[in-house]
Amino acid sequence: MDTVRRPEFDPELKAGLAIVGGMFPPTITPDLLGFMRRSYASLPIAGTLRARRIERRDEVIPGHRGDPIEVSVLRPADATGPRPGVLFIHSGGLMFGDRFSGADLVIDWIDRLGAVLVTVEYRLAPEFPEPFPREDVYAAYDWIVREADRLDVRRDRILVAGASSGGGLAAGLALAARDRGHQRARGQVLDYPMLDDRGLGTSVGQFDGVGVWDRVSNETGWSALLGDARGGPDVSPYAAPGRAEDLSDLPPAFIDVGAAEIFRDEAIAYADRIWRAGGDAELHVWAGGFHAFDIFAPHTAVARGMVGVRNAWVEKVLAD
Amino acid sequence: MQELLGRIAALDPGASLALRVIACFDELVVGNVNTRALLGAAASLSGCEVGFHQAATGTTMRVCPRGELARDRDAPPPGARRIADGLCVWLDRDGAPHANDEIILERLGLALRIRYGRDRQDTDLRRDLGQLLDPGLPLASRRQAATALGLHPGRRYRVVAAPLFAVWTEHPGGIEDVVATPFGTIHASVVPADGPVGTADPSGVGVAADVDHLHTSFTTALVALRLCERPTTTTVSADDFGGLVSVLATMPPDAEVPDVELVDAVTAFPWGRATLDALVRAGTVRQAARLAGVHHSTMQSRVETVAGLLGFDPFDGLGRTRLGLAYLVWRLRHSRVLDLPAPT
Repeated sequence: MDTVRRPEFDPELKAGLAIVGGMFPPTITPDLLGFMRRSYASLPIAGTLRARRIERRDEVIPGHRGDPIEVSVLRPADATGPRPGVLFIHSGGLMFGDRFSGADLVIDWIDRLGAVLVTVEYRLAPEFPEPFPREDVYAAYDWIVREADRLDVRRDRILVAGASSGGGLAAGLALAARDRGHQRARGQVLDYPMLDDRGLGTSVGQFDGVGVWDRVSNETGWSALLGDARGGPDVSPYAAPGRAEDLSDLPPAFIDVGAAEIFRDEAIAYADRIWRAGGDAELHVWAGGFHAFDIFAPHTAVARGMVGVRNAWVEKVLAD
Repeated sequence: MQELLGRIAALDPGASLALRVIACFDELVVGNVNTRALLGAAASLSGCEVGFHQAATGTTMRVCPRGELARDRDAPPPGARRIADGLCVWLDRDGAPHANDEIILERLGLALRIRYGRDRQDTDLRRDLGQLLDPGLPLASRRQAATALGLHPGRRYRVVAAPLFAVWTEHPGGIEDVVATPFGTIHASVVPADGPVGTADPSGVGVAADVDHLHTSFTTALVALRLCERPTTTTVSADDFGGLVSVLATMPPDAEVPDVELVDAVTAFPWGRATLDALVRAGTVRQAARLAGVHHSTMQSRVETVAGLLGFDPFDGLGRTRLGLAYLVWRLRHSRVLDLPAPT
């Protein structure tokens, strides 16, 4: 039998796949884009926010090329005075999801740390290819810095955080802010980030057809963003931060990833290269974890571990 | 996971959520997870707190939907369900029970009984469809399972096999369950032989069989499923392969088939796979060229290379059969449709 050696899924997570598989197939090809946009759309959030006394205000801001894009500003209802800010960049393979997809976990930072959270509706590929998604994200960061006083956000206390494709966009934002001489973020949270269109690591080929987000799905996502340029010589490191040659002088990075997912090796390499460049990175690799298991199966022991460790780091860098 | 079940139901109103709950607990039992993990899964699936009480030790554990332990550890409520002597479980549902509460409690109870050693190890805990499709069981047991499922001894049926991550656009109805196989957990449906088989991507449709031979329909459905190649081939019917499919279905996964190595040599070429695919479908070089979308002379030179590597002519008599069989075995061994177990 033709078998690929790979780490097993954690038993609790494997059980979760019996549910997850019904809305997020392991292998996403372009023909499934419509399905994924329905299945991964966020659910109404008003009830959650009300119960947690979180205020929401939507604003339209200039995105890439000045086009209007939407952001939501979430803050504790009783908040006064300057406070930490978070720019959240959602997951969805660059092709689906919206600014509240997978947001439950970062919403915790609003009530736990009193943070103001800005979540951005960056435009999605393939309709809006490179550089729309990353420049929309950059524009949202620029907007927070410019409007910090009005938003009650401390400019020296802005965290950028993203999961999966959002993690790749957050890493690209940190690189671009450095190179363009913009305000340095207080930290970057890169959850199982989508960093490299070249698919170089061993882990990329270890999970074909299983779990969440396999090699083919990844190629589908990168092709949607980059078209024929995927894997070629002309891809910007702001789009695929794994390609960046210089990883020095970046905000402290928190990187977490599953051991049983395709992004394992890219995440490890990114942290390693930050350290080699003299930077600050914290890396956690969770045994038996498939991609984004904390979003899909937050009740499991391994997800509680991941979320707890991440929250502790965020508290360390962000809290008053 | 309650939210995910809601998403699945919204995407596909015909989807069986109970089947997913069952598969989830099946995996938890196989994975030998602890009490908190079992209660956590039930809490996550139901969206409410789940409690467990063990009389012998006087311990109570309550777990919230996000897996945290609930602080207060009250004694079991009056409505708690006794799952064995001195063991009970309950769902802390405010208001009317939800549709899946019953199946969640049932599977949680079963998993805890096994965890606490209250189910005899030698008892076959599989459900009826799993027993019906197991050729290792005596005919009498399989017939008993068929009767329990309401299948008629005189009628013919097919088994449709799909992974749990299949995307369904049409459900055939009929009997369905999750069944453990060497290729992972499979969603199996039994449908009348001449009725609709539904549409799932990916899926395999087994050959028609009577109740006594329905396990062969299942093994051929698994072969068919493993021959799917998304996104081009989303469903395969075992009937299309006639007698070949039973050869493939009964062949041990590690069977020595020397011709398969020869196929490996051909597929090492960038054009190898597409050429073999055309050769096994075509009757002539010209037809193969048309199927592969290449010029006749290109195909001619490829056929010569292939014949050199194989050591026989793929268009000549037994050579056709050898290549056809070797190519199908090769495809099964390289199938990426299912969650193959990790090598031991």
